[in-house]
Amino acid sequence: MNEFSSLIQFSIAIPIVCAFLTLFVKNWGRPAVQILGVAGFAIPTILALLLWLWYDPSEPGGYAFVSNFDTGLGIIGASLHLGLNGLSLPLFVMASVVGLAAGIFAAQSKAENLHRYLFCLLIMQSGLLGVFSSIDVFYFYFFHELALIPTFIMIGVWGGRERNYAAMKVTIYLTLGAMLSLIGLIVLYSKSGADSFDLITLKETLAAQPLSESVQRYAFGLLLFGFGILVSLWPFHTWAPLGYGAAPSSVAMLHAGVLKKFGLYGLVQIAAPLLPQGVGLWEDWIIWLALGNVLVIGFICIAQRDLKQLIGYSSVMHMGYAFLGVAAMSALGAGGVVIMMVAHGLTVALLFQLTTLIHHRAGTFEMDEMGGLAKKAPVLAAFFVCAMMASIGLPGPGLANFWGELSIFLAVYDLRNWLIFAVVAGIVISAIYGLRAIARVFFGEETEAFQEAQKEIAVKDITWAERTPALILIVVLVFIGLFPKTITTSLNDALRSEPVYSQTASLEIDE
Amino acid sequence: MSPQTYAYALLLIPLASALLIACFFRRNGAMASGISVGAAFLLMLTAGHLIFRIENFAHDTHWIELGPLSLNFGFLIDDVAKLMLFVVAFVGFLIHVFSLGYMKDDPNKARFFGGLSIFMFSMLGIVVASSLVTLFIFWELVGFSSYMLIGYYFDKPSASDASKKAFIVNRVGDFGFLIGIVMTFWVYGTLDLLELERAVNEDPSKLSLPIATSIGLLLFCGTVGKSGQLPLHVWLPDAMEGPTPVSALIHAATMVAAGVYLLCRTGFLMTVDAVEIIAWVGIATALFAGLTAVAQRDIKKILAYSTVSQLGYMVAAFGLGTLVHLNHGASSHEAVVTGGVAAAMFHLTTHAFFKALLFLGSGSIIHACHHEQDIFKMGGLMKKMPVTFITFTIGLLALIGTPIVTAGFHSKDAILVLAYQQNSLAFYALVAGAFLTAFYMIRLWKIAFFGDPNSENAEHAHENGLVMTVPLALLSIGSLFGGFAWFYPEALKPVIAAGVQLNQGEGHGAAVGFGVIAWALGLVLAFVFYGAGAKEDRFQKILPPIHRVLSAKFYFDHVYNWYVANVQQRLAGFLQISEQLLLSGVIIKGLFAGVSGLVGIGLRSLHVGNLHAYVYWFIGGLALFWAIASGVF
Repeated sequence: MNEFSSLIQFSIAIPIVCAFLTLFVKNWGRPAVQILGVAGFAIPTILALLLWLWYDPSEPGGYAFVSNFDTGLGIIGASLHLGLNGLSLPLFVMASVVGLAAGIFAAQSKAENLHRYLFCLLIMQSGLLGVFSSIDVFYFYFFHELALIPTFIMIGVWGGRERNYAAMKVTIYLTLGAMLSLIGLIVLYSKSGADSFDLITLKETLAAQPLSESVQRYAFGLLLFGFGILVSLWPFHTWAPLGYGAAPSSVAMLHAGVLKKFGLYGLVQIAAPLLPQGVGLWEDWIIWLALGNVLVIGFICIAQRDLKQLIGYSSVMHMGYAFLGVAAMSALGAGGVVIMMVAHGLTVALLFQLTTLIHHRAGTFEMDEMGGLAKKAPVLAAFFVCAMMASIGLPGPGLANFWGELSIFLAVYDLRNWLIFAVVAGIVISAIYGLRAIARVFFGEETEAFQEAQKEIAVKDITWAERTPALILIVVLVFIGLFPKTITTSLNDALRSEPVYSQTASLEIDE
Repeated sequence: MSPQTYAYALLLIPLASALLIACFFRRNGAMASGISVGAAFLLMLTAGHLIFRIENFAHDTHWIELGPLSLNFGFLIDDVAKLMLFVVAFVGFLIHVFSLGYMKDDPNKARFFGGLSIFMFSMLGIVVASSLVTLFIFWELVGFSSYMLIGYYFDKPSASDASKKAFIVNRVGDFGFLIGIVMTFWVYGTLDLLELERAVNEDPSKLSLPIATSIGLLLFCGTVGKSGQLPLHVWLPDAMEGPTPVSALIHAATMVAAGVYLLCRTGFLMTVDAVEIIAWVGIATALFAGLTAVAQRDIKKILAYSTVSQLGYMVAAFGLGTLVHLNHGASSHEAVVTGGVAAAMFHLTTHAFFKALLFLGSGSIIHACHHEQDIFKMGGLMKKMPVTFITFTIGLLALIGTPIVTAGFHSKDAILVLAYQQNSLAFYALVAGAFLTAFYMIRLWKIAFFGDPNSENAEHAHENGLVMTVPLALLSIGSLFGGFAWFYPEALKPVIAAGVQLNQGEGHGAAVGFGVIAWALGLVLAFVFYGAGAKEDRFQKILPPIHRVLSAKFYFDHVYNWYVANVQQRLAGFLQISEQLLLSGVIIKGLFAGVSGLVGIGLRSLHVGNLHAYVYWFIGGLALFWAIASGVF
């Protein structure tokens, strides 16, 4: 056991403790609930940053801060085995930071029953931190469910337009995706003969004796579509824009930013290393479906009129890049996916927050009913331009996003030469919808509808309370972009220890 | 201090200025302009130190590593970079000063000066970047600062549209550029410029791979976007929606020339086939833009098309010169500066002087005429604005290549000599371009400055203050003497002297002869057409059909607008509707309704069993999908 391993346990436990405490302090008034809620997000963030600082992957399997608890499930080979490696550490940190931003933003929201809202959100945060720090596959899944269930409740209770339909649809899709991936994981467990859910054990067992081709085919198929639904792989993505459209903003921030990455993380950390042959067998499927994400959804983004839907769709589009990175089965591809997940998580959370702020001012998400907002809210405009530029991969605010995209593009060329033309077309498509959104919301003249709305809403610029979560996200994003080695050094080590990820440039050029 | 400290300072000074303005002086225009101009002054000093006191150097810091990809953040300061650094820092500072006067009464000028600082940061980054990735990063950033400054008057829909257009069209070019970078990495195994050059020299056989030509052309796509070459030039004339100092600095002197600089930095990766295409694209652009400029009425649009045309000359210079080098020159790529690079950079430098001068002059005019930009509504400005008139005339004489006494003559001459050596068709095309340049510029000059004032605004025009006229005077000196090697300090000479030397090459007589004839012909013809100033365009009366095509800019914008409205939007709309219909509802619900009707479960289950049925159908469909996918059927 590592001397700091308890920090992981604390960062999972503290949100839960704070969640229950908020229910008790609700009679002390709103500020008490708010402070407790924010503390429940802030303390794990500080712990996560410390773990990032002290990270030293000296323990078996390239993990650090490892701890193991028997939770009475030893009979099925599951125990609460926690730790971080180069792949999970960046995501763990990102989850804590996005959680903090979402938490601060939630604490100042006007939600009814704020204590219950924060309760759900804190449970979700605990689950998220658990997902990325579980070495045990069973608990990896358990923590995902722990984070998922509050999502359904929050969309149904605090959601916006069409919340019941959205909650139902999101529940169906995500439950189904989770079930499929659970079946896939159980197949892994039972066919491997390891009698353990422990990822390190599984890896060792399967490295010595890989699964047969047919098992790899259907096991990876289950995981691909199970995880794929959770990550909005085309055409199983329709829950995402709808769900995010209806979800309260902090939920959208946490789900699109962090929880959605569960599936990709599962593919990169578990499915691909354990079932490398399976990835090869499904390669064409991944490529074509991911192209659906990039190109079809890209064009659908262009047709959006609703700002929140646009952000939802654009996040679906970006997941296409990530799937291609997975299919590449190389250090560049998998590493690119991890960098992209981190950058995308921060960016999309930022965009959802700012979108809500725009809604507070314009009273609508319809871009045709806005216009000229930059005059009344110049700083908000600057934040939004910054966020949108990051989202479309402009190096600058989005330097981290650019690193992710660049690595994936490099990997994609290695995967299939022709594919690069289709995939890089995405940078033009995203520029089209991103800049249109900026122009329609902030530039030009005020539309009549917006002038009408201003009779009821006094439009003011972004306040400091609103700026705080946005600034937190931007600072971390820019830091990772400027100093990518803070995550890529350990990431690279972790990828090097996975023999399934190719390290070298194959330099095969077909004409 | 170590050399790299100065290079870091080049980036950190403008960045600090931009951050200071953004964080603290958003509403304090006076402070913001002071900080920004002060930063520009410091930059000029730093750049001067780097150019004159420090030997060429390269410095790299490890930045990111992932699998086979290992990238450095670093600087590569060589002769070409030093010349570019000089242009950016010197012209940049003068334009900052000019802006103090031009933007004096603007309530939002903090945003303007902050944007200028971001621009200086990104542009200097391009100049010093030591690897293709670093260069690309700053490349995108100048695109962003250009976007921000074109859209400075964002409440004007035309400015908002122009800024969007500039960014998107540039991204189309970057699409190719980025793919070129990806391919470069897989073929040569590195993205560092020095290592690439070494790799090419060690194994020149890679250049004979078919993919090498693709790489050259894909990298050139970046240039096509940024330097407004055909067919991606459409954004540059629209970019004139930005404040005029921005047009002078970004859209005439420096950023648009970055494409040419990119070619010069990556010249060793070019193959004969690639360079040939590059040269012809440049020549076509030079001619096309010259023709378009003949029929424009807006003073800034005329200058914008002239910029496109001159950028065409630079690209052609690079292409033709490199072609000469690859065909006849030394087999190794190790020459200090090849003819193509020298000619392109030489013209880039003189163009920066006289085009910045012309744009600032036009800014001075527009400022004085209360934002009137139509030359047919000016007239008689010679007497009202003597200093502007003189400096504008100097810039104009340099642009049209007035023999011996102006810089433009010498740099254009070098390009004509290269064309003569390579291809006679190219040579005559570029001579024709020179004729057009003389014609449209004298047209502008006669109409705006001579005759009687054609509007109220021109009537009340008056000369501007010293902050605006002194930069004009300094740029005039460069426009006059920038064609001589002695004009430049020792550190800048290697490139310039190589450019000047081209003028002694084979075909020099023909280049001068034809150049002067074209110049004289254009001049005389414009005098005949627009002799004593004019209220309307005589050309339009004589040849209306041709004029219509030219003033419509060869219908490029029409075609693109048609594409956006009828192809892109319709495709997006179609996919959106099919998404709504197919995926989210009709198929699943419709199937359900149909089947339930058939089976006769009837309406009841439609109400009660909605959720369950939905789940079943979904699972059923997914199972089917999975079964097909895994090859059960």
